[in-house]
Amino acid sequence: MDPEAARTARESLDLAFQMSNILDTGLDRHTLSVLIALCDLGLNPEALAAVVKELRREPSSSAPVLPPPSFP
Amino acid sequence: MEEEDQQKLTDLVKELILRLLSCKSPNSASQSPSSPHFQASLRYAVRILSSRLAPSVAPDAAAVAESIKRHLAIHGKSSQALTFADLYSKFDSKTGPGSINNKWAVLYLLKIISEDRSLAGNDPNYPSLLPNIECFEAESGDKSRVSREREGGRVGWDKGVLLVSKDPENLRQLAFKEYADLVKEENEVSEELLVRDVLYACQGIDGKYVKYGSIVDGYILSDLVKVPRATRTMVRKLCELGWLFRKVKGYISDSMDRFPGEDVGTVGQAFCAALQDELSEYYKLLAVLESQSMNPIPLVSESASSGNYLTLRRLSVWLAEPLVKMRLMAVLVDKCRVLRGGAMAGAIHLQAQHGDLLVSEFMKRLLTRVCSPLFEMVRSWVLEGELEDIFSEFFIVGQQVKAESLWREGYRLHSGMLPAFISNSLAQRILRTGKSINFLRVCCDDRGWAESAMEAASAAGTTTRRGSLGYGETGALESLINEAAKRIDRHLLDVMYNRYKFKEHCLAIKRYLLLGQGDFVQYLMDIIWPELSEPANTISSFKLAGLLESAIRSSNAQYDDPEILDRLRVKMMPHSAGDRGWDVFSLEYDPRVPLDTIFTESVMVKYLRIFNFLWKLRRVEHALIGAWKAMKPNSITSQAFLKLQRAAKMPLLLTLRKCQVLWNEMNHFLTNLQDYIMFEVLEVSWLNFSHEMEVAKDLDDLLMAHEKYLNSILEKSLLGERSRALHKSLFILFDLILRFRSHADRLYEGINELQTRSGKSSLASRDNKKSGQQRNEGPSKTSSWASDGRKALTQRAGEFLRNMQNDLDSLAKEYTTLLEGFLSQLPVQQHVDLKFLMFRLDFTEFYSRLGVNKC
Repeated sequence: MDPEAARTARESLDLAFQMSNILDTGLDRHTLSVLIALCDLGLNPEALAAVVKELRREPSSSAPVLPPPSFP
Repeated sequence: MEEEDQQKLTDLVKELILRLLSCKSPNSASQSPSSPHFQASLRYAVRILSSRLAPSVAPDAAAVAESIKRHLAIHGKSSQALTFADLYSKFDSKTGPGSINNKWAVLYLLKIISEDRSLAGNDPNYPSLLPNIECFEAESGDKSRVSREREGGRVGWDKGVLLVSKDPENLRQLAFKEYADLVKEENEVSEELLVRDVLYACQGIDGKYVKYGSIVDGYILSDLVKVPRATRTMVRKLCELGWLFRKVKGYISDSMDRFPGEDVGTVGQAFCAALQDELSEYYKLLAVLESQSMNPIPLVSESASSGNYLTLRRLSVWLAEPLVKMRLMAVLVDKCRVLRGGAMAGAIHLQAQHGDLLVSEFMKRLLTRVCSPLFEMVRSWVLEGELEDIFSEFFIVGQQVKAESLWREGYRLHSGMLPAFISNSLAQRILRTGKSINFLRVCCDDRGWAESAMEAASAAGTTTRRGSLGYGETGALESLINEAAKRIDRHLLDVMYNRYKFKEHCLAIKRYLLLGQGDFVQYLMDIIWPELSEPANTISSFKLAGLLESAIRSSNAQYDDPEILDRLRVKMMPHSAGDRGWDVFSLEYDPRVPLDTIFTESVMVKYLRIFNFLWKLRRVEHALIGAWKAMKPNSITSQAFLKLQRAAKMPLLLTLRKCQVLWNEMNHFLTNLQDYIMFEVLEVSWLNFSHEMEVAKDLDDLLMAHEKYLNSILEKSLLGERSRALHKSLFILFDLILRFRSHADRLYEGINELQTRSGKSSLASRDNKKSGQQRNEGPSKTSSWASDGRKALTQRAGEFLRNMQNDLDSLAKEYTTLLEGFLSQLPVQQHVDLKFLMFRLDFTEFYSRLGVNKC
């Protein structure tokens, strides 16, 4: 990555992080960057948000019984 | 590349899960990718990710940003909203390598995560309010100073200061949730369905829930349907429109049904047509509303559930104006249910006097249509004299009468059908104009009025075609009628005067029936006198007609228009036994169509009365003059005077003198009466009548003038109602005068006889023939006379004269009393002209002094 692109990326991430703080999403910078990368790759943001929600839930309510996954 | 991407994807997902799990439970042992928890989570995550492949909302970054901003603003964090907007604009402007391509996705993601978080925070198990507020407060601080501690949990007293925000979001949300539950409970029926039902009700159709209840006479929501009270009331209010609509529609269909039965007139039909037009406008509006009711409101924020465009409240706003109009129509329908024709137009016109612009415009539109048949009828009546009124809605009614009463009774005004915007005087003019046209057409056989009508129409600025006048143009109507009336009247009068020579006929009547043509009357009297003295049943009218002819021929009347002379005839009235010719004779004049409109039967009867009176007067006058002829000093009387003895001279003188005096009185009375009648009554009235004929503007004026003329004559010549007593005494006087005449005749005959008797002895040889003739009169007396000497003659004469004297005395007394009575009655008469009669008769106040002296 050239410095220009890096700078852009960094700034974008900063802005996104600030927005995320305003919205009180509770995401830290690193997680947010991962999520952004995933969105860029084309995943459905609704699905990602669901994942985040589920995995954030109380330990008692998490770890559901799952059938064998079908990985795409 | 695909493979690479996939690998990257997997790595990223793993990374994400790791971070999420680790941040959730920071105190637990750090998760390793191989822990079973991690694996389970990974599988779960993958499952979720693979299930939702397509987003449900359109990818529009700006829209999402907007909705986030709004969300923030609603919840009272307006400063944050501004900051966010700022950030977003910067974020959005970052393009090129290294920037985020799928900005929308990022924003959407952040939004949903934040929503989820806040939703999760509203868990009912949530212990207390304060920490949440705490959280907010902490957040509103410096954004850059976000630390891991805060991320770890929500609870943290960073600043140690408590700030209470305005609306705690979750309280609001709580309230909303409760409300939503409540509403769901109460509303069995959704608003959308109710709206649809109301729209049906507005067209008079029963909907699923809103039906027409005949008991309450309105559209109501059935009680079984559970809706909140407010909705129920609103639905009820809106359904008033339905009730009004039903009423109006019912009236229209009623009228349409009745129409074949000829119960509804043209005006009623026009009214229905106008109502139907208004209703079609209404239908249009309803159609638009119905189409709208299916559409949802296009909203920007997807999270809010977009209800239908048409709520009950919106509907009430839309239907406000139609409600006003429908109410007006329903009021009109009520008022006009029993009315027809011009009365209906008048009733609607009264309703139209309203200050509200909307109402008056609406009414005006309606009235223009309703009144068009009426105006059409007026136009055709005024310009063509046609009365096409099958349903009898016009305010002029005609009836079938004979030609001679066409003017007076053929047409009249029906004030019940007269609408209020046509004044009474205008209606009279309309009536007269049409009547004149019909009169001209029927009685005068004249076609010239058509041009007058055309002229009138062009002068008034309209045409003679149909449909050129309308309601609200009363000024135009009036000018048309004025022009038409003016011209037609003038034309009619022209026709009457020129073609039918009305004036000449009037004059002729005056000359012959009112005895104006003196020489003719004199001659007629002379030759008809002996005839009329016979009893009535022996007189033949042919003979009288012949006498009339000869009278005409020998006077100036022969130079008169033969057409006029043609109409003069002798009339014999029905006689009873004992009547003399005098009682049954009269002249008559035959007015033909169209003059008999003016000279009707009753008018001719009046003329007859006047004629009789005048004729009697003339007869008496004639008698008196005849007496004078005998009373002239002549040789016979003077000879008789000389021849008689002294003893008989004085009585003779006295008698003669008495006779003379009495004659003088009577003559004075009669002459003055005659003069009065001739000059004061007949001539003056005629002059007035001529003046009025000059200025008469139409036939009605003429008729009135003529009636006035006749009535004044009747009044002044003591033939009126009020002068009956006077009239009777006058006739008694006349009889007296006639008796006097016969007495005078007898007196002079007697004197003649005396003279011949006295002259007989000396002139016996010479007067054989004469005496022989005279002897025929009194055969029984002659022998005794001849044999008696002069003494007997004187005795006889004295006796005779005494008798005569007594008679004359009694006559004189009677006469004086009667005359006094007559004169005393004169001053109390109402008519001012009779005072002139009194003045003439009692010029020297002789009689009044006499009366005074007697008292």
